[in-house]
Amino acid sequence: MKKSQNQAASNVATSKLHKHERKVWYKLDLSAIVYPTLQRKDFSSVYRLSVVLKEPIQPDVLQQAADMTLPRFPIFKTAIHKGFFWRYLTPNHRPGPFVQPDIRNFCMPMSFRANNRYLMRIYYYGNRISLEAHHSLGDGTGGMFVLNTITANYLRLLGHEISNGYFVKDIHETPDPEELEDAYMRYANAKVCPPRPGEKTYRVRGTKEPFYTFNVIEGAMSTSEVLAVAKKYNASVTEYLNSVLLYALLQKQQNEWHIRLHPVKIAMPVNLRRFFPSKTLRNFITMVYPSIDPRLGDYTFEEIITQVHHYMRYYINEKFLRGDITTNASTQRNPVIRVVPLFIKDFVVRQFYRIVQDKNSSAGLTNMGALKVPDDMKPYIEKFDIYMGQPFSSRTNCAIASFEDTLTINFASNIIESDVERYFFRKLVKDGVHVTIQSNRD
Amino acid sequence: MSYCVNCGVELDPSLKKCPLCNTPVINPNELEGLTYEPPFPTVKGQVDPVKRKDLFLFTIVVLLATSLSCLALNLFVYSRSPWSLFIIGICLVLFVFLLPAFIQNKLPIYVSLLFDGISIGIYLYLITYNTRSSEWFFQLALPVTVLLTILAEIFTLLIHTFRFSFLSAALYIFAEIAVFCVALELLIDRFCSRPLYLGWSAIVLTVCSVIVIALITMLSMQRLRDAVRRRLHF
Repeated sequence: MKKSQNQAASNVATSKLHKHERKVWYKLDLSAIVYPTLQRKDFSSVYRLSVVLKEPIQPDVLQQAADMTLPRFPIFKTAIHKGFFWRYLTPNHRPGPFVQPDIRNFCMPMSFRANNRYLMRIYYYGNRISLEAHHSLGDGTGGMFVLNTITANYLRLLGHEISNGYFVKDIHETPDPEELEDAYMRYANAKVCPPRPGEKTYRVRGTKEPFYTFNVIEGAMSTSEVLAVAKKYNASVTEYLNSVLLYALLQKQQNEWHIRLHPVKIAMPVNLRRFFPSKTLRNFITMVYPSIDPRLGDYTFEEIITQVHHYMRYYINEKFLRGDITTNASTQRNPVIRVVPLFIKDFVVRQFYRIVQDKNSSAGLTNMGALKVPDDMKPYIEKFDIYMGQPFSSRTNCAIASFEDTLTINFASNIIESDVERYFFRKLVKDGVHVTIQSNRD
Repeated sequence: MSYCVNCGVELDPSLKKCPLCNTPVINPNELEGLTYEPPFPTVKGQVDPVKRKDLFLFTIVVLLATSLSCLALNLFVYSRSPWSLFIIGICLVLFVFLLPAFIQNKLPIYVSLLFDGISIGIYLYLITYNTRSSEWFFQLALPVTVLLTILAEIFTLLIHTFRFSFLSAALYIFAEIAVFCVALELLIDRFCSRPLYLGWSAIVLTVCSVIVIALITMLSMQRLRDAVRRRLHF
């Protein structure tokens, strides 16, 4: 009798809690607004973060770790809904997300209604734990906090002592409201809105793979070797690898049949947390576009690296980035745009992205830099891998991450040809970097 | 440990060829039949089916509420004729037409078309309750509905069986228009108790026949087909 009374009381409390939580909802942040708009039957803005441990993964323990961790990250435990003017996120109390065996064609399109409406997936394969998240929830940094905290809890459940710190959050503390903020709006306060770059660039031509094919080529190398080579060119690792990708794209364009040459441009996300203090786990990135214009003449690799080096130093600073996010925010703040119904906004944004934004870059490159974990977690981790996900159009996306002395460069594409990857890795080999290749291609 | 002779990169032991340049890996020291665990899974995934329970419930509620309220109004307020059958019938037709959107595992299109034809048939039958005789239904409406359903099924079958192109689709459509018009005129003649005679449908038949012959010629001749595609592309 007493037990049933307790159960009833607990049900009331749960229902009250849910009733209260039902009122909680989150606006999409400035970047996140665009990603659901681009959703197609064969495309979702999904990225993947992986950690390779030194022992095979135990799925039931991983599930426990995920269940323990996710309430700490409320934004990753949400479902997306359509309003009349904008989309929004609401807490998702459905069961899940459930860990599942990994698949070959990962970063699959993510339907908003499937998978119990979760916008993230957790996979395991051999020693690898992978987290896939829709970009409307947060950027790679936010996702990395979730992945590392799940991994730390997984290791704790296996009996290891793991402390909190770096990308590992304390699951017992209440989420800081700042973690859920749209940090763009806090810093989008420049007095001028600089125009967006809008130049037609070189497009990688290739044979499109059939639906549900995702080609990955991963190159693993020593961080210190790459650092030494970059130093030789007086550049940082990001600048050096950007230059190698530009060099590869230039070579590809040159070796193709063309009437006229186009500038080669890379879309590179910059983590704004480095310049604007924020604890947000949502999107807080902006794009910069290092480029080379071959119409001006033939560039040597040294010239490319000099150009990229100076471009980065000139544009990646607090002032320019503030101007950039102010330009992006001005569209969302415009009262006329705000009252336009969502389906019209969707149509216009999709067309703008397809015709202007997607043509504005030849490839994507992201570098999460050196990933740090608490010292007591290091012995259990082999390496980290990040994947930018399916490209919107036929091209190649490159994602870089390093952990200790292992630097991994992952190319993801939906085309058969791997010319860009070949030129890229051959250049690294030529520069004296020892590269080990893995792939999911046949 | 193998290296690509072209690219100079070290290759994962699971790779049979270099993924960068497709050069096969030949390592004489490698033991034959030795397999390595691939770094990526080999199983392919599928996107989860979307459950449209909410949309299904919403549609059911809207259609049921409309039908029941009209039925109640018909029974208790405006009860001179069974007019609510029009509304109930159209709700049924709408439900059947929307059925493919609710069903998770895709319903075969032939079954969907058959259901559509049946629902239209039922709707037309319900109309007979508001007319003096049901003769028009059995002699005209039902055969026309059956004929249209069969033609739609044949069109779908042809589209699925043979390679689709605008020219082939046009061929099927014009051929079916001719058949439909001839059958319709014959059915009208029978309904009006007139001798069976081809009048206006003969003109349609002639025009469609000319178009069909022209289309068959174009489809059978590569050069002509290309010329049409070039001139009419959009």
